[in-house]
Amino acid sequence: MQYVVTFLLAIISSMLIDNVVLSRFYGICPFLGVSDKPKSALGMGLAVIFVIVLSTIICWPLFELLKLAEITFLDTVVYILVIASLVQLVGLFIKKYSPSLYKSLGIYLPLITTNCAVLGVVQGNSDMGLDFMSSLANGIGTSVGFLIVIFIFSCIRTRLQGPQTPKAFKGIPIALITAAIMALAFIGLSGMVN
Amino acid sequence: MIKIIWAILILAALGIIFGLGLSLASKYLYVKEDERIDEVAKLLPNANCGACGYPGCRGLAEAIVKGEEHKISKCKPGKPDKNFTPIINYLNEHPNEDGTKLDVKM
Repeated sequence: MQYVVTFLLAIISSMLIDNVVLSRFYGICPFLGVSDKPKSALGMGLAVIFVIVLSTIICWPLFELLKLAEITFLDTVVYILVIASLVQLVGLFIKKYSPSLYKSLGIYLPLITTNCAVLGVVQGNSDMGLDFMSSLANGIGTSVGFLIVIFIFSCIRTRLQGPQTPKAFKGIPIALITAAIMALAFIGLSGMVN
Repeated sequence: MIKIIWAILILAALGIIFGLGLSLASKYLYVKEDERIDEVAKLLPNANCGACGYPGCRGLAEAIVKGEEHKISKCKPGKPDKNFTPIINYLNEHPNEDGTKLDVKM
């Protein structure tokens, strides 16, 4: 029971308190790029969840293997290899089963490879020396946090497309201000879990 | 020394595993596309400069074959006799499945 509670707390902590976009500032590129429509934001978030969770699961044993062979300096290369292959796989999958989503994600789909949130989670796991379950919790929490934030952000941006925005703020400027206010709001959650 | 051997072995093994997995997946998840897209993409200059406003030469080829783009000369590095005329001839010889011709101009 204690174990499950710790697992859930770790997920919530990396999902809300240490939010990947708003307090660690990873993954800003897709956060601004794919957030103009809630539907594509949801698709992006789900693709990122898939890539982060799977790469966490694959990279943890690989890091143990590197530790056994005493070549841990190769970790980044191995992680990038895993992430790039997974992103290719997700790209093929989405192209086959949802061409409309493939079109709306556009260039940002292959760019998940360079989404620093993915590498950040995996690299952070091995740098902090987390065990398998903590790594998994970190991966799930971070990616779900990304999905939540990008979805909220896209909903706000859809509302902001109305005519009441001043001309100078239309588009990206008001989006950046919104992101800043959201980051302030998420600070309010810090200290919730010790 | 033994470290270098391990490094080469492990990275090569991972590369082979992921490469095989991806090639299998690309066979299994293959999407049938209009083969004219590939032909038109071959006839473009393939500079992938993006001056036409599409993501790369294949993006422009896709738009031309799907009938979304009618002006081929949007491709800035393309030459009329080397690229545009062969594309127009090719598309005139290979009409859509329902027999209608694509409306493409210089």
